Amino acid sequence: MLLQLNNIFKWVQSGGQRIFLLKDINLEVKEGEFISIMGPSGSGKSTLLNVIGMLDTFDEGEYHFLEDSVHNLKEKHRSNLYKEYIGFVFQSYHLLDDLTVQENLEMPLIYKKFKGSERKAMVADMLDRFNIVGKKDLFPAQLSGGQQQLVGIARALISNPKLILADEPTGNLNSKQGEEIMDLFKQLNDEGVTIIQVTHSEKNAEYGSRIINLLDGRMI
Amino acid sequence: MLKNYIKIAWRNLIKNKVFTLANIIGLTSALAVALLLVMTALFELSYDQFHENKDSVYQVYLSNQTPRGLESGTSHPAPLAPALKTDVPGIKHAVRALSDDALVTYNDKEINLDAEYVDPEYFDLFTFPAIIGNAENPLSNKNSVAISEDGAQKVFGSIENVVGKSIALKLGKEEQLFTISAILENPPSNSSTDFDIVIPFKNHPEYASNIDRWDSQFHSVYVQLEEGVTPEQFEKNTQEFTTLHYQGSIENAKRDGAVANADGLYKQFHLLPIADRRFTSFASGAAEVKRTFPYMILGIAFVIIFIVCANFINMNIALSEKRLKEIGMRKTLGAVKRQLFFQFWMESLLVFTVSTILGLVLGNLLLDPFKSLFNTRATLEHVAQPNIIILFGLSIFCITLIAGGYPALLMSRLGTLHALKGKLDLGKNRLRNSLIVLQFAIAILLISGTLVLHGQIEFMRNKDLGYNKEQVISIPLNGKKDSYRVVELLREELKGNANVLNVSGADNNLGLGRDGSTMSSMMGFDYKGRGVVTNALTVDYDYAETLDLEVVAGRTFSREFAADSLSLVINETMAKQLGEEDPLSIRIPMDDGATTYSVIGVVKDFNFQDISKQVKPLTLFMNNGWDLYYAYVKIAPQNITSSFEAVEKAWGNIEPQAEFLGSFLDDNVDRTFRREKTMATIVTSGSILGILLSCIGLFAISMLVVAQRTKEIGVRKVIGASVSSVALLLTKDFLKLVGIAFVIATPMAWYFLNEWLQNYAFHVALSPLFFVGAGLLATLIAFITVGTRTVKAASANPVKSLRTE
Repeated sequence: MLLQLNNIFKWVQSGGQRIFLLKDINLEVKEGEFISIMGPSGSGKSTLLNVIGMLDTFDEGEYHFLEDSVHNLKEKHRSNLYKEYIGFVFQSYHLLDDLTVQENLEMPLIYKKFKGSERKAMVADMLDRFNIVGKKDLFPAQLSGGQQQLVGIARALISNPKLILADEPTGNLNSKQGEEIMDLFKQLNDEGVTIIQVTHSEKNAEYGSRIINLLDGRMI
Repeated sequence: MLKNYIKIAWRNLIKNKVFTLANIIGLTSALAVALLLVMTALFELSYDQFHENKDSVYQVYLSNQTPRGLESGTSHPAPLAPALKTDVPGIKHAVRALSDDALVTYNDKEINLDAEYVDPEYFDLFTFPAIIGNAENPLSNKNSVAISEDGAQKVFGSIENVVGKSIALKLGKEEQLFTISAILENPPSNSSTDFDIVIPFKNHPEYASNIDRWDSQFHSVYVQLEEGVTPEQFEKNTQEFTTLHYQGSIENAKRDGAVANADGLYKQFHLLPIADRRFTSFASGAAEVKRTFPYMILGIAFVIIFIVCANFINMNIALSEKRLKEIGMRKTLGAVKRQLFFQFWMESLLVFTVSTILGLVLGNLLLDPFKSLFNTRATLEHVAQPNIIILFGLSIFCITLIAGGYPALLMSRLGTLHALKGKLDLGKNRLRNSLIVLQFAIAILLISGTLVLHGQIEFMRNKDLGYNKEQVISIPLNGKKDSYRVVELLREELKGNANVLNVSGADNNLGLGRDGSTMSSMMGFDYKGRGVVTNALTVDYDYAETLDLEVVAGRTFSREFAADSLSLVINETMAKQLGEEDPLSIRIPMDDGATTYSVIGVVKDFNFQDISKQVKPLTLFMNNGWDLYYAYVKIAPQNITSSFEAVEKAWGNIEPQAEFLGSFLDDNVDRTFRREKTMATIVTSGSILGILLSCIGLFAISMLVVAQRTKEIGVRKVIGASVSSVALLLTKDFLKLVGIAFVIATPMAWYFLNEWLQNYAFHVALSPLFFVGAGLLATLIAFITVGTRTVKAASANPVKSLRTE
């Protein structure tokens, strides 16, 4: 088992009242799963994804990731944990504008203190795998949306995470580009990467092995 | 329309509280300080400008070609002025003037007044108006004197019914009666000449014996040229005159190997406009008029204003990015460029108006502490003249136009769609970065100036001057008694005190005493067919022992040798000048061979003059016929306070009428570099303010940069960056700017400070450490300023920064 959420609650205080963002979430994710989270705007999809990604905290409940109890961990250990095991893919790609494709891919490796030669090899590998060797010296602004998202995924994958969290990865793309990205996810999943995606599209949700529906912070 | 502009401007300012506050605080303090500095500078520049005839009145100085090079002197012999008047065409008036003390007695009251001995025409040249009495010619006869308001207050306690009264003045050894003919307005604070009493020149004790001597020079000469006569014509007209009257010394100069100047002359008269007197230095031989000090102050004021304006521009441009949508919206609603410009400019105007008012208030509040801190007598009156106020208003307007108008222009020029999309291309922030670099270059310049100035002051304070300055008190002999008698009485009074080690006297002080007077006395004679010039000092017994002067050969004056009044003690430089292998064999004939002096001892060189000067040749005389003017008392290093009090008490017993002005020599030495201290205070406060203001700007900019890069920070953190690496990334960009500033500022600072230190014969070595220190300090300050912001940004939760909509 990769991770397990038990009775997770998250709320904000507003005018003496609690407004629940997540309400009693129970979720178990096994390695190799491909989960799609669906629901209308404001239902808590992104919040749930952020909680799973340890970018956001929760107010009540337990979260176990591999052997660690996330709810008991200090901030620093938590960030070490997600840096090692989790890769993020965003709707608006979030590439660094001032860096080339190659440098963007290299950045996570620098932060993980890989040696220069190792980094080169891993980046070359990834460029190869995603067929973007020719684009390695271009800046994000010079790429199409689909290509940018490709780089975004490559960056998420480069340090070999166990889990990919994708927040509407096709939201800014046209249908053809979207399809290509989803095919890529499928392929990665087949290779053994666990994926959790947030999506609005029924069609994209079908790629997953399991669909979770959220409404007002509650799983239905 | 206007109301709407002001309303929107107000709301915007309120919304960006931090920036508005930073701007107002910065502008207010900068304007207040600039006001005070400009006031000081204008005051300095206004020196002697109040004389109505300032354009036609000049001080006469004589440039001499000597074997040692060019030397200039403003001291002249008594017959010069009358001779100039009669022999040289184009001169309306030529007057003599000499500043001295005068001991006034009135109804058993004895008071020492600052006296100016002048010829009667003095008041035709200089504007010192009389308020009561003979305004036309205050010095109408030899026995009339004019007194200033302050002088009258000191002597009579009022200025009523003073004219016509008689007072006694001690001139030389005798007392003489004088009648007050007029009361003069106090000399303004921006006058180089300051006096309590004006006495006809012919009464000066030196006058009678020197009336026809061209070789005894002891007073200044001022001339007023006739209309249409230029100083150049005067110089030409006096050439023959000079050759005639100075024939003897010109021949000596030729004999000793002096080189004639470009006109083939050995001596030439020149004129110095009286308004330039305060700024003139003769250090290099020729007269150099340098208004460095006031211009430096103006420069600092300008630089401080520049720093805040740079802040203002930077913050406004950076802030404008937040307002792009607003601009786009206004444009789609039909606003034209001019309206937009006006709206943004309005905000700047509002901030500037508030700051100017606050700055004026603050400046006024700080006036008194400022005046005592910077040791200036400047008042706001020197600034509050109509043309200066108009200039001030105009410059504020210009600054507002530039500082507020530039960002306004930038924003109003933006295309509608461009603005709506929220992209502002500012050419990679080049302007912002250059302004920051310039700010920090200035800051580093000022910091290194501060460090070197303080280094030099410390150096001068701690330098071994060759005499004991910690344990010796010097007392100006300002009483009526004979000076040798006073020193002898002091010896007797203090004999029983175990803490008093030695008592002596001399005719000159060391450093600058509390009597505030300086004097130098030089003499020349022929030695083995060569002209020799030396400083002369008359001393009493035990002089060397009292001051701990080191005797390197022979002995000093001693009571055991009866003939010591014909003995000389010289310093090493003098010995070198005389060039004898055995200095003790030197015999010097003086007064045309009537007397022969013999050298009995050589003392090690000591700094008997300002520390800025090399040690010159010095000869010590012991001659009862020449008065002493200072007593020296050496006390034991223990119980310094009680010893000082004992000396003061002894003085009170000996000269009950005269004020005790004794002071320790190290205080006297400190007083000689009061100018440097004032300069250090100004530069230090300038650099502190400059750094503070730069930091306000940097802080605001770092805040905005962090805001702009929030997304990037979030992304970096999500892909694994640590807090420290992100903080470093953000800080690095700013430190780079400081680094560039350092590279630009250091050579400039080195150049200026090196130039400045050349003014001092003894100065601190210009070590690179000063500049490294300044650079490190600036870096550290910038690091702290930016660091607080960046660390905070780097530790923020990336979820917030990455939320797309």
